[in-house]
Amino acid sequence: MTRDQFLLEMDEILGLRAGTLRGDEKLEELQNWDSTALISLIVLAETSNDAHISPDQVVGCSTVADLLRLAQVEGSPS
Amino acid sequence: MASETKAMQSEILKELRFPISPANILRKRHSLKKELLKQVNLVPSRIAILGGSTTTEVKSMLELFLLAQGIQPTFYESGYGRYSEDVLFENPDLWNFKPDIVFIHTTWHNVSQFPELMEAEADVEPRVRREMARFESLWEKIHTGLGALIIQNNFDLPGLRPLGNLEATQSSGRVNFLMRLNAEFASYACKHSRFLINDILYLSAKVGLDEWHNHTYWYNFHMAVSPTATVALAQNLAAILKSVYGRSKKCLVLDLDNTLWGGIVGDDGVQNLILGRDHPVGEAFLDFQLYLKELQRRGVILAICSKNEIENAKEGFSHPDSILKVEDFSAFKANWNPKPENIREIARELNIGLDSLVFLDDNPAERALVADQLPEVAVPDVGSDVSRFAEILEHERYFEVDKLVQEDLNRSAFYNSNAQRSAYQGGFRDYGEFLNSLEMTAEIAPFSPVYLERITQLINKTNQFNLTTRRYTSAEVEAISQDPGFVTLYGRLADKFGDNGLVSVLIGRAIDETLELDLWLMSCRVLNREMEFAMFDALVEQCQARGIRKIVGVYIPSKKNSLVAGHFAGLGFTRLNGSSGGHESWHYDVPQSYSARTRFIRRAAKGLPTVANA
Repeated sequence: MTRDQFLLEMDEILGLRAGTLRGDEKLEELQNWDSTALISLIVLAETSNDAHISPDQVVGCSTVADLLRLAQVEGSPS
Repeated sequence: MASETKAMQSEILKELRFPISPANILRKRHSLKKELLKQVNLVPSRIAILGGSTTTEVKSMLELFLLAQGIQPTFYESGYGRYSEDVLFENPDLWNFKPDIVFIHTTWHNVSQFPELMEAEADVEPRVRREMARFESLWEKIHTGLGALIIQNNFDLPGLRPLGNLEATQSSGRVNFLMRLNAEFASYACKHSRFLINDILYLSAKVGLDEWHNHTYWYNFHMAVSPTATVALAQNLAAILKSVYGRSKKCLVLDLDNTLWGGIVGDDGVQNLILGRDHPVGEAFLDFQLYLKELQRRGVILAICSKNEIENAKEGFSHPDSILKVEDFSAFKANWNPKPENIREIARELNIGLDSLVFLDDNPAERALVADQLPEVAVPDVGSDVSRFAEILEHERYFEVDKLVQEDLNRSAFYNSNAQRSAYQGGFRDYGEFLNSLEMTAEIAPFSPVYLERITQLINKTNQFNLTTRRYTSAEVEAISQDPGFVTLYGRLADKFGDNGLVSVLIGRAIDETLELDLWLMSCRVLNREMEFAMFDALVEQCQARGIRKIVGVYIPSKKNSLVAGHFAGLGFTRLNGSSGGHESWHYDVPQSYSARTRFIRRAAKGLPTVANA
């Protein structure tokens, strides 16, 4: 999954208009960033990227860019 | 533009139909909810979820599947693991919430004490009793204190088996213990009408225990069921609630060629149809027919809609291996008309709404046409492989029932009798002569405990001949039946072709010398039979006996009840001036001397004569 695709999926998870997220947003400022979004994100990473990420790791993220790195998305900042 | 929006909505909602991708649903939950909330006429439901584990995901998924059934839930959620305390200590938040439904989401994690290794059977049995007593005290308190319908999970199985296969056979094994508890839960459900089981033992087996349990979610969130399996759990719960709210489908409309048998009966001839145990595909068709026969026996109406000559179509059922016979179908349309036209005819003939129909056809073009022209009809995407038809139908849970009452089992017989009545009607000079010849007998009496389940079922599913469309829970119906302030009547009708069962319900509230009608409904099975006159005659008798001088009737128009817009006028009521919120009020002065309206229905004392169903 590419970076843009992942961001679109994140838009969907958070109920945002497609193309809203750019990658530099702070998670705590995002509407609908809650436990259900967190769970959906983990399932997305598992099913789309076969990347096993733990809730602890997600809780340790503070920005969308951190999530991109965690989910091993192509083209994400290392 | 409107059609583009509709198409987009339909595309989004496909996510909730077979084949389901749980990951997609989890991801799209916001957009799905947004689309589903655009529907009109949603039925409200107050649901308390009492969790033995975390229930946030259960609530979120259940909301989607209920909205897809036209039910809009409002939720109460207990704190984590507080399923028991909230009830036993009467949490005021729960009591003030006044739930219609209480769902108890417990799993094997919530068994308080499993047997010790090698514990003697004599000690295990008391453990089962203690565990049951713990749950029973909870259920009784919900029934008496909240009056809500209970949906209780039975037990799933743990993912790990320290005793290996002995878990199932040793009385101290956990699998053995859980299966005994499940049998006790089932036994309780059989004895209590307002208690339903959400069968997670089956669900977890279907999903697979490895997917059902997920350590990550258990240890991080205390979710006893993984997020993806929660989708299946929510869908199952929504199917139960769909049935509780009378939204299950009633009739399965089937194509013939390559749907009930392999081949084209008109071209290939009956002898060359692929059907029977001597051919792999023929065996799949045979098993599908067996499945359909099971559905029909438990009350699902079957109908045929086929592009065929009628003689050829009927001849197909003379195949020696055909399980289904022509008389199993309550409506039979075989001609060259467009299928949507025939399906409309079938709904009209059976007197049921298009939204009660499911259409099954191996031909994708026919499916697309029906789905487009008749959006109310459910059209599952069954593909063309007969070995998967039953599985796909099952998956959509169209015909879920929360209980089986005698009327369900007799339904097909009734509709077949109705077809005979219609055919029979042709030879009469006028309709009155036809009605007279039916030799109808009605049993009309105040609510009786033996009929309360059927009365509640009718109240919650009847839409067309229903003056107020007010819904009541079982507890409310039971309370009304015992309250001397109410006048209640049920009506059963039999005729020379068979017993139509309990078909009409009436509830009135007596205030001094006035009776206000809260509810009057009748099954569309017996439309145009003058059963409403028989009910009215009985109502007037009740009023006279109780000194009631005036009857006030209310008509609340809905999307589906225009059929009864003229009901009160037809009975001689006078409309009161003004209306509030679209409600019409009508009144009728009860005369001292009253001439019965019924011309063709003989009133019987309790207990209709037994008439063999044709």
